[in-house]
Amino acid sequence: MHDTVLTTLPASVSAGRRRWSAMRWLATAFFGGALVFAAVALLLGDVFFLRLATEALIFGGLALSVDLLLGRTGLLPLGQALFFGLGAYVSALVLKEWSASFWVALGVTLVASAAVGLVGGVIAIRAKGVYFALISFGLAQVVSKVVYNTRELGASDGIIGVPGAVILPGLTSASPAGFFLVVLAFIGAVYFGLRYLMDTPLGRLLDAMRANEHRVAFLGFDPWRYKLVAFVLAAAIAGGSGALYPMLRGFVSPELMFFQVSGNAVINVIVGGTGTLIGPLYGTALLTGLRSVVGSFTAHHHIVIGVLFVVVVILMPRGLVGYGAPALQRWLDARRAAREVA
Amino acid sequence: MSATLEWLQFVLAPQMINGLSIGVAVVLMALGLTIIFGLLDVINMAHGEFYAIGAYLAVLLLGLGLSFWAALVLAPLIMAVLGYVTERGLVQRVFHSRDRHTLTLLLTFGLAVVLEDLLKIAFGANPVRVQSPITGATEMVGLFFPNYRLFVMLFGGALIAAVWLLVFRTSLGALVRAAAFDRQMSASLGVPVARVYAGTFAFGAALAATAGVLLAPIYSVFPTMGRDFVLIAFSVVIIGGMGSIKGAVLAGLLLTQVQSLSSLFISPVWSDPLLFGIMVLVLMWRPQGLFGKLGHA
Amino acid sequence: MSAILSVDGVSVQFGALKAVQEVSFQALAGAITAVIGPNGAGKSTLFNLISGAIRPSAGTVRFDGREVTGLPPQRMLAAGLSRSFQITNLFFELTVRENLRLAAQYLEQGQGLLRPLSRSTLAAQRVEELLAQFELARHADEVAGFLSHGEQRRLEIAVALASRPRMLLLDEPTQGMSHADTRDTEVLIRRLAREDGLSILLVEHDVDLVMDLSDHVVVMHQGQKLAEGAPAAVRANPAVQAAYFGEAH
Repeated sequence: MHDTVLTTLPASVSAGRRRWSAMRWLATAFFGGALVFAAVALLLGDVFFLRLATEALIFGGLALSVDLLLGRTGLLPLGQALFFGLGAYVSALVLKEWSASFWVALGVTLVASAAVGLVGGVIAIRAKGVYFALISFGLAQVVSKVVYNTRELGASDGIIGVPGAVILPGLTSASPAGFFLVVLAFIGAVYFGLRYLMDTPLGRLLDAMRANEHRVAFLGFDPWRYKLVAFVLAAAIAGGSGALYPMLRGFVSPELMFFQVSGNAVINVIVGGTGTLIGPLYGTALLTGLRSVVGSFTAHHHIVIGVLFVVVVILMPRGLVGYGAPALQRWLDARRAAREVA
Repeated sequence: MSATLEWLQFVLAPQMINGLSIGVAVVLMALGLTIIFGLLDVINMAHGEFYAIGAYLAVLLLGLGLSFWAALVLAPLIMAVLGYVTERGLVQRVFHSRDRHTLTLLLTFGLAVVLEDLLKIAFGANPVRVQSPITGATEMVGLFFPNYRLFVMLFGGALIAAVWLLVFRTSLGALVRAAAFDRQMSASLGVPVARVYAGTFAFGAALAATAGVLLAPIYSVFPTMGRDFVLIAFSVVIIGGMGSIKGAVLAGLLLTQVQSLSSLFISPVWSDPLLFGIMVLVLMWRPQGLFGKLGHA
Repeated sequence: MSAILSVDGVSVQFGALKAVQEVSFQALAGAITAVIGPNGAGKSTLFNLISGAIRPSAGTVRFDGREVTGLPPQRMLAAGLSRSFQITNLFFELTVRENLRLAAQYLEQGQGLLRPLSRSTLAAQRVEELLAQFELARHADEVAGFLSHGEQRRLEIAVALASRPRMLLLDEPTQGMSHADTRDTEVLIRRLAREDGLSILLVEHDVDLVMDLSDHVVVMHQGQKLAEGAPAAVRANPAVQAAYFGEAH
């Protein structure tokens, strides 16, 4: 039986165009739902939930970068927060010292993240399997410790007093609803970009590497090169998402690079559904909300999430969307069949 | 000339002794990790928490009025039971799937998250100091050995030797090694494989707990102590070779010496990056580590 | 006919074990060359060497006039050498069609990796060809892991063939196959060589199949080449007979 327990079969390679429907519905529901949420929140004059949702989206971007590696390339990254935190710091520094432009901050961060990703990738990609996870874990631990001890970067306090980013004349990150929509657009761009990528030769090669890395070389493709591409792309996505953080909260701290963040991202992906891309977004939204709710009662929300995660790993390793999407698809197919008979 | 001797005596030697005492504890941690990996093929991300639980159990037992020596014996035993239950109850459930490596890593990672928060809930986030059971220092060959550190080195060294003997010179050890080598064959020969696996995991956990108790009077005890320490343990295991006991011992002693001596020349902030850099270099040049066998990961 | 593959004095050493010892032979273009020998003869190691999975400790391999010794697998494929595996090495979680498409993708090297697949006509055509040729069209959208063993072995060969290599290395292609499937595979291999002009290097346990099929046979024993020549000559060779049956006496 060659059934992978963890990753959901990529929808597009399974049964042609029909399978797209369930995933399309889920993606539409997510982004459509987000728009509806924004409209309602705006009408009610809410700030708190908009900011919380924006933060959820930002961490959703980090989750997407983890899913690209774990669910699609077959690499388990336990230190992706390194790029996220790095992106946050770069963005904060740009906004504070150089230009208040959203586009400059984001652009510089993307380039910097990709560059660091290249270096990190060359180091880490050589490692096979679980060694990669440990190297990625160690890299993040070490860099976060160095940043924690570097006075020029604010040491343990981080950088505070980051001004709002200007997106358009009249629209800055200070606007709760406006920035929420901007972040939604960014995440949407990343999500649909990754969706497109999965239907290109490059994306399919990544899937192939997850399925059987050994054989890929014998088909004429150097796995190292493509793993590096995936790693750099994931670093850029994580960094770009991180760049949005100081725009939202006005500060950055070394905690953004800590294992907590990397670990949460992996948990978000697994609970949401590894390999589905939309699953990690749902997972992040759900768990961010859960953390916030539980966190308002007790400081120990980690344990709740931790237990939930362990249960998911044992009982439903494919995650919510991993089981939900095929079920939805079956229901859709049944309905279509019924309609054709009628 | 005498300045060099003095430097050797008062600067270098104490650092080496420090390094040795820490090294012995690191080796115990690494032994536990490498044994769990060598037999079960499981990367135990919760190993750091087992170390922390060991230390906290000592705090608890000391708080109940027991002596440090009782704690040194009891804490690992309690941890062994916890480890056995964990392996039977949790790890076994994901063991038979195709994604076993990733799932066990994730499972133990999730466990680590839960355990760390449990410790925080039970004991609070503030560090706890544990009294050193032996005070004072002994002078030998012109060097001063803090008595407790001396004890750690001797006790730890004896324990490491005992583990070595157990694994390589007893029939129990042979049984365990057989089960590691060929699970199916061992089962058909009547070896209770499930119990052997759980027992090995328990043993590894107990070693980590022992390290926790030993180091409690040296470092203070706090909930995130496991997470910081586990990176060193993993580095040692990777450099020494996953599954290699010889590697864990040699790499553990060597690397802690490198760490403590390097603090003489560079800022302590850089000692972790140094260790990590060595690990990366070893992984790039010789992925199976110094003594490991490729095909084990 | 000229030699397409020249193996010259190759040795492979694993520590103290000499898995392959100074083996030399040639495979002619358009011919079916088989490598046989009892268990442990070093056939698989030799195969791994030629396909780039391992590097020789000595000796050279020349393919199509070029030196290819020690090149990694992807470069071997680029040179025109493709292999199938003894232990089925497919992308089990992907569909049959996707397995073939991945292998055929090589035909579109250099056309850009970020084009949408709908524009990937060359690969798509090749997939249809292979599905027909290997009678797998019925299973095209099934997950490869769910196929029967015989079907998987067929797919294994199809995947190796997808990139239109100059030479095909088949590692025990009929392993575990039923009698009927084995006959079909024999027909297929013969057609590939005779009609399509493909050079084939074959490792096989089924000695009868090899004698029927091959133009040229190389016999290995304990890491060394024992004999080489036409099937009939090799079969009659007393040293070969001793190697295969000698231990039984």
